[in-house]
Amino acid sequence: MNYCSRWLWALMLAVLAAPALQAKEELVTLPKRDTVQLTIYNSVDLTLVQETRTLSFKKGNNRLQFSWAQTLIDPTSVEFRALTQGDKLEVLDTSYPAESNEMLIWTISAEADVSARVEISYFTSGLTWSAQYVGMLAADEASMTLTAYVSVTNRSGEEYENAQVRLVVGSINLVEKINQLAGGERERYKRDAEGEMRRATRESAGKKDIVKEGLSEYYIYTVGGTETIPHGWSKRLESFVQAGVPVSTVYTYDARKYGAGLTKLLTFKNNVEHKLGKEPLPEGTVRLYRTMGGNALSYVGEVATPYIAKNDEIKVNAGADAEVTMKLTRLGLEKKDLAFRRWGGRAEDQSLEGWTTVEDFKLEVKNFRNKDVRFEINLVFGGDFDFDSSAEASKVDFQTRRFAQELKAGSSTQITFKLTTRNGTNVKNR
Amino acid sequence: MKLRLFAAALPTALACAIIGLSSPTPAEARIKLATLPDREAVAVRFDHPNQVLVEEERTIALQAGVNNIDFSWAGTNIDKGSIVFRPAAADSKVEILSTSYPPGENALTWAVSSPDARSEKFRISYLMGNIQRETSYQAMVSKDETTCSFKHYFKIRNWSGESFAEADFITRDGKKFEKALSQGEAKRVLVNKWDNVKIKKEYVYDLTRQYEGKVLTDYVLVNSKDIGLGQIPLEFGKVRIYQDDGKGTAAFTGEDWGRFTPIGDEMRLNIGTAQDIKVEFKKMVNDVTNRRGNVYDTDELDQYEIKNFKDSEVILTLVLRVDGEWEMMKDASGFESFERMDNETVKFRVKCPPKGAPVLLKFHYQRKDVW
Repeated sequence: MNYCSRWLWALMLAVLAAPALQAKEELVTLPKRDTVQLTIYNSVDLTLVQETRTLSFKKGNNRLQFSWAQTLIDPTSVEFRALTQGDKLEVLDTSYPAESNEMLIWTISAEADVSARVEISYFTSGLTWSAQYVGMLAADEASMTLTAYVSVTNRSGEEYENAQVRLVVGSINLVEKINQLAGGERERYKRDAEGEMRRATRESAGKKDIVKEGLSEYYIYTVGGTETIPHGWSKRLESFVQAGVPVSTVYTYDARKYGAGLTKLLTFKNNVEHKLGKEPLPEGTVRLYRTMGGNALSYVGEVATPYIAKNDEIKVNAGADAEVTMKLTRLGLEKKDLAFRRWGGRAEDQSLEGWTTVEDFKLEVKNFRNKDVRFEINLVFGGDFDFDSSAEASKVDFQTRRFAQELKAGSSTQITFKLTTRNGTNVKNR
Repeated sequence: MKLRLFAAALPTALACAIIGLSSPTPAEARIKLATLPDREAVAVRFDHPNQVLVEEERTIALQAGVNNIDFSWAGTNIDKGSIVFRPAAADSKVEILSTSYPPGENALTWAVSSPDARSEKFRISYLMGNIQRETSYQAMVSKDETTCSFKHYFKIRNWSGESFAEADFITRDGKKFEKALSQGEAKRVLVNKWDNVKIKKEYVYDLTRQYEGKVLTDYVLVNSKDIGLGQIPLEFGKVRIYQDDGKGTAAFTGEDWGRFTPIGDEMRLNIGTAQDIKVEFKKMVNDVTNRRGNVYDTDELDQYEIKNFKDSEVILTLVLRVDGEWEMMKDASGFESFERMDNETVKFRVKCPPKGAPVLLKFHYQRKDVW
């Protein structure tokens, strides 16, 4: 049963001479797959399947039938290529029988009786992969061991036995979806694939290496050895483990991203300084745990991260931590430079058209923790304003100012700033 | 037992034979031979404010080569993606090769490689839903209302579908207690008790907390060693307050939500209203001045007549609000101290003589450039 799919999906070499469509009897052979390679994209529901088989051809025209019932193969993508004896073989035509939309027949002309290794490739949907990351933080949260995993899920309807698996990191453009080209969702079916899973696992006694290589705008992860993932199953493999990745904790206020209050962000970079940076990190889920001694864990938080390019930064939201607090207080308000539009001499013959407000603020940050922390507070102001603060503030964008400081354990800091906002006709460069 | 861990060592003949014959049979008909290693230790951790992490240890007999270990559960809400599986020993020779997830099942299979036949202890951690936790406190206030005994309770309600025959429950601040907790069962445990905690009683008329003009009675305790606390941050929770009546019994005097109080911060608990202190507000002056078109200033005098019907003098704190640009005039009177908390908020402390003698707080202020 292992020479090709048992799912009504077959490659049949008809040995009758053409034209044979009218023939009432056919004798076919079922050549087995020699190898199969799956190249799975995670940005779209697309997998390139490249399988090789060794076929014998008789001199003259040979008909090769390829069918794929109950799978999610894109019929427009099926290609035939002779890897050997290419100079003696030629595809004359490809016909799609009217009675079946899950079959095609190639007519292949052979100059002589030859045995050739051929490749059949096609796109299928239903095979997907995703990345997961688990970070084990040291008790002081200053470093972690980061383990990256890739999970492959097979809902394609087909079982690809002993397949070489390649995973593509990157975003490709498709003008049509493969599962639509495949004729929509097929009826899904269940079966017990545990035996195959166990057999496949038994064959490999060691941990798989996953080799990462760059290709144009993409990265390709190649899983060592071969894998068998039955329909309906997922399999998770370790991609890499890196110990001692430095992690910094920044208590961040950014109301647009994280809402009110300080949010604890655990930050690291995908670069050499952080013992990473060998390849981009595909989008996935990052889960962080803290080691508590005795191999016990404490759950810290998780984040769905987008693609992290080399040297880019990852921030994991560990939620609010009420032990570091901030309070913004408006201490004073003054209006000045009132400008009026006048239309008469009486006091009531005027109306306000320009004014400037001067506001004094106090920002107080308290660290109730027993360790030093770093905070980053982003404040957004509207309109035409001047900003003058007691502590250094950086300009994030035209309306955002950032205070970033270290704060010792059990201490607090106060920052004051003056915000002058021009309104109405007082706005400069109107 | 709803949560099961099957350790199916592949090289056993029967397992191989059965698996070898099990080709295209329906998923429902999975046949397997399994050993059922017992849980040896279970810890339920409440470090995270919203999630509960369960950790368990089991010793599994491994064969040399690759072993498949099935982990499955039914009727419990385990976050599949959160499951972490590793050997308990840091220097273990055992390797986790892969994790496989069968379709439509709450189960997964680890492929574990072992260099030889051995018994290996593994630790499994996962987030489990439907275990509720609740922090509450009980303050027993002395008759003179200067100290209290402060008890910290932790309550767990187990709706997870899983029963814990023997588990360590660990609170956020590291307190550990060992309990059996069945499905549907709840337990409340005293985790901390502090005696002679100093408290401060305050009467507050606070228009930022309520609009009814009532005088609130608060107890204030600072989470610091100076007053007998300050060991752990106090979690958010309900505080029930009782008072020793001096006759060996206690009376319930109120309850409030205590906010999360880090070490060094204060917890303010409202126990109700002070019926013996009355505040009557009157606006005595409300003039518009300096009108310029649609812009004007104001001159305003807010008067608060305070009567303390108690037998002893009290200090009343009044927290009032004025919007916009304003300044208090020098002839404002009737207060011991004054603090402008922020641009809009002002706090007065007023000494109130006993037995209903009235005292007038005259809050005179001018608002500028109103439109």
